[in-house]
Amino acid sequence: MFNIYKEMWDRRKMIHALSLQEIKKEYAGTVLGSVWGLVNPLMRIAVYWFVFSIGTRADNPVGGAPYAAWLAIGMVAWFLLNDAFRLSQKAFRSKRSIIKNTPFPIAILPAVQITFSFYTHLILLVVILIAMAFALQTVSVYWLQILYYDFAALMLLLGLGSVTAPLVAISKDFGRFLDTVLIFLFWMTPILWPVENAGPLENVVKLNPFHYIVQGYRDSIFYHSGFWEHPLYTLYFWALVLVLFILGNYLYKRMKPIFLDIM
Amino acid sequence: MDIAVSVKHLTKKYKLYQDKWGPIKEVVSKKKLHKEFLALNDVSLDFPKGEAIGVLGTNGSGKSTLLKIITGIADPTSGTVEVNGALVFLDVSSGIDSELSGYDNIFMKGVLLGYSKEEMMEKADDIIEFSELGDFINQPVKNYSSGMKAKLGFAISVNVNPDILIVDEALAVGDSMFRAKCMNKMNEFKEQGKTIIFVSHDKNAVESFCSKAAWINKGELIAYGDSKHVGSIYNEFMSGRKKLEEIRTELTLNHSIEQVYQHVTDEGLSLELKGYLYGTKADTSFDFVLKENRTGEYISKPLERIAYSGRSSLPADVAGDAGFAISISEREYPNFLKPGAFTFLVRSKNENGEWVQFPLWAGNADLEGAVDQKGQFLYKAKVENNQLILRVDNLEKVQEQVNKIWLEGNNLHIEGVAFVRGYEAGSQEDVSIRMHVVDLESFEEKSYPAVVSETEEITENPSFNPQGKNYNFAQFKTVINLDEFNKGKYEYRMKYKMNKEPFHEMYILVWASNSKEYPGGALQLGDKEVEIQTGSKYLRMEVR
Repeated sequence: MFNIYKEMWDRRKMIHALSLQEIKKEYAGTVLGSVWGLVNPLMRIAVYWFVFSIGTRADNPVGGAPYAAWLAIGMVAWFLLNDAFRLSQKAFRSKRSIIKNTPFPIAILPAVQITFSFYTHLILLVVILIAMAFALQTVSVYWLQILYYDFAALMLLLGLGSVTAPLVAISKDFGRFLDTVLIFLFWMTPILWPVENAGPLENVVKLNPFHYIVQGYRDSIFYHSGFWEHPLYTLYFWALVLVLFILGNYLYKRMKPIFLDIM
Repeated sequence: MDIAVSVKHLTKKYKLYQDKWGPIKEVVSKKKLHKEFLALNDVSLDFPKGEAIGVLGTNGSGKSTLLKIITGIADPTSGTVEVNGALVFLDVSSGIDSELSGYDNIFMKGVLLGYSKEEMMEKADDIIEFSELGDFINQPVKNYSSGMKAKLGFAISVNVNPDILIVDEALAVGDSMFRAKCMNKMNEFKEQGKTIIFVSHDKNAVESFCSKAAWINKGELIAYGDSKHVGSIYNEFMSGRKKLEEIRTELTLNHSIEQVYQHVTDEGLSLELKGYLYGTKADTSFDFVLKENRTGEYISKPLERIAYSGRSSLPADVAGDAGFAISISEREYPNFLKPGAFTFLVRSKNENGEWVQFPLWAGNADLEGAVDQKGQFLYKAKVENNQLILRVDNLEKVQEQVNKIWLEGNNLHIEGVAFVRGYEAGSQEDVSIRMHVVDLESFEEKSYPAVVSETEEITENPSFNPQGKNYNFAQFKTVINLDEFNKGKYEYRMKYKMNKEPFHEMYILVWASNSKEYPGGALQLGDKEVEIQTGSKYLRMEVR
C-alpha cells in the first residue's frame, strides 16, 4: 500500500542529490545564484503588505500580532506549499526526457521537487525568523514547533504530489486545472486575512489542509499554542494525509504504464 | 551458459486513438475506439553473458521498444524480463542539462544512474580524459557542439562500469577517431566478460562487432543467431531481394544442394542436383524453380522427395523422404537456357494460396561434377553467397549497334551493324542474323529474319579492324510489323549465326546507344501507342 513511499525512503540520498542538482539548474547561468530564491519571495511579501496596509488600510494587528509580521510568517508557509505543489504535480511531465530515456526510479520524482522547494524554503525561513526575532524582540521555545509543521507540510505535499503527478502526466488539462486551483486556494486560504473573518464559514475554510500549516506557523510564532491543543483538527489533517498516501500509491501503480506510453 | 538478460513472450501494445477525446469517449461509451498497435509481438530472447549481441531492425521495427522494456523505461503489456546485473542504457543526450557545465553534468547523470557523489568523484578524471573535452569541461553544455555532447554522454555512460551496456545507435555521432575509441572501450568490456547489447539498423556495424544478432521486424523476432548469418538475411530483405515470407519459410526449413553434375550432349545441357529439404511443414509439396535473374523468366517442376542418401547426417525421422534429385535438360525445356545467370529455387504455396519461393542453400555444394562445358553456349555452375548460380555465356562476343530506327506505315525498320571480331564475313552466306522480340510478361518470342548486306563501315574503321580483316557483311536490316503486338513491354534480342567454321551461334541483347537516330516519344499506330525505349542502352519497346 505504501510501496512508492518506501522507495522514496530507500532512495533518500538520491532525492537529496537530485534536489541539489535542481537548485543548481534553477540558478545556473545567473551571477547572484540562489540569492534570487530569497529576493523573489521577499518582494512578494513586501507587495502584499503594501497593498493591504497602505492600499486598503486593512493592516489591523491580528490577535495581537503586527500585520506585517503575521503576513510574512503566513506567506513563508504558503510559498513552500505553493511551490512544492506546483512543481510536484508536474514532476513526471517536466522530467519527460529523463523518464523516456533513462532507466530510473521515477516514483521519486515528486519527492525530488518537494525537497527542492523545501531547501529553498529553509533559506527563506531562516532569514524571516531572524528578522522576526529582531522585530518582535523575543524568541520562544514554541518556535521549534515550526519543525513539526514543516514535517506535516512535507507529508501533505508528498501525498498531494503522489496523487496529482500521475494524473497530470496523463492529462495536460488536469495540470492546467490545478494551476487555476492554486490561485483560488491562495485567496481562499486565510493567508492574507484572518480566519475569523470567515464567520460561519470558518469551519469550511478550515477543511483546507493548507490552513492547518499556515495557522500552525502563526500559532508557533505569535500565539504560542501547540498542535496538541486542537487535537481534532490535527487528527483530521493526518487522516487526510493517510488517505492521500494510499490514493497516491494506487494511482501511481495504476497510471504508470499508461503515462509511460502516452507521454 | 549464463544469461545476462532473459526476455520471455514479450508483447507491447500501444493504443492509437483517432482524436484527443478518444480515451474519454471510450470510457463513457464503452465502445472500442482505438486501434491497437503491436510494437512487440511475443518476443522471446536470451542475451548470454559476456557477448556482444546486435539487435537489427528498421526504424519503427520495435527494437527501441524492446530496449526500453529491458531497461525498465517502458512496461510490457505482457511477458517477463529478467536482468542479471547492473545495466546502463547508453544514450548520449538524456540526463544532460544544457545550462550546467560538463563537469556538473557528470554528477547529474551519475546521480540518475544511481551513483553517489563520492563514487562519481573517483570516476570524474577518467570521464574527462575519455571525453577529450579538456578545458571545455567547465563550460555550459549549451555551448557544446553536438559531437562534444555525444562525447560527454558516451564518456559518462561507459566509465560508470556497468555489467550490461545497452548502446542505441549512439555511435552515429562523433568523429571516426572517437568512434574507434568507443569501439575499443566496448571491446575491452567484452573481454571483461560484460554483456553489450548493440542496437542498430546497420548490419555492417553489427556483423563486425557482435557475435550474435537478433533481427526484429514489425515487432516480431524473425531470426536470432550468428551475427553473420542474421546480417546476411537481413541484408537480403533490406535490399528487396527476398520477401519476409520467403525468409521465414527458409528459416523454418533445412535445405541444401549437395551435389551438382552437368554434361552437354547434342541435345544441349543436362543438369542433375542432389540434396535435401525438410522442415516443420512436412506435408507441403514443393516445386523446383530455375529462374533467370535479370528477366525473372523461369521453369518449374514438382520436387519429388526421395530417401536421403547423401553425406550429411540428418535426423532419422526425416531422412526417409528428405532427399531430392532433380534433373533439368535443354531437351526438356528447349530455348530456356540463354545467356544470363540462373538461380535454383524451391517454392511452395502458403495458407493464402500465394507462392513463396526461396533459393536452395548451396554453401556446401560439391561442384566436382559441374565442370565448365561448351555446348551451344558456355555453361558454368558456381556458388555465390551460399547460392548455386548457373551462368550461361555466349561462346564469342558480338559487337553490334543499331544505327537507325524508323517507321514506315506500321512497319518498324531497324538497321545496324553486327560482327564478331576475328570472324571474317566476306560474303552474304557467311552470316545469318535474326531479330527476336520477347514479351517481358509471358516470355513469348517472335522472330524476324534480318537481311545482311554489305558495308565498309567496320572493315574501314581501324579501331574496329586493326588487323585488316574483312567484315564487309556486317550490316543488317529488319522489318517488324507492329500490328502483331498487343499491349505490353518487349525486349529485342538478336541471334547471330556463323555459317562457316566455327559455326557458333550467339544470342544477345540489342545494343542501341545512338538515340539521335531513333524515333523519340510515342508513335501513334491506330488505337495503339508504341514507344521505343533505349534508356538502358538496350532496345526495348512498350506498346500501350
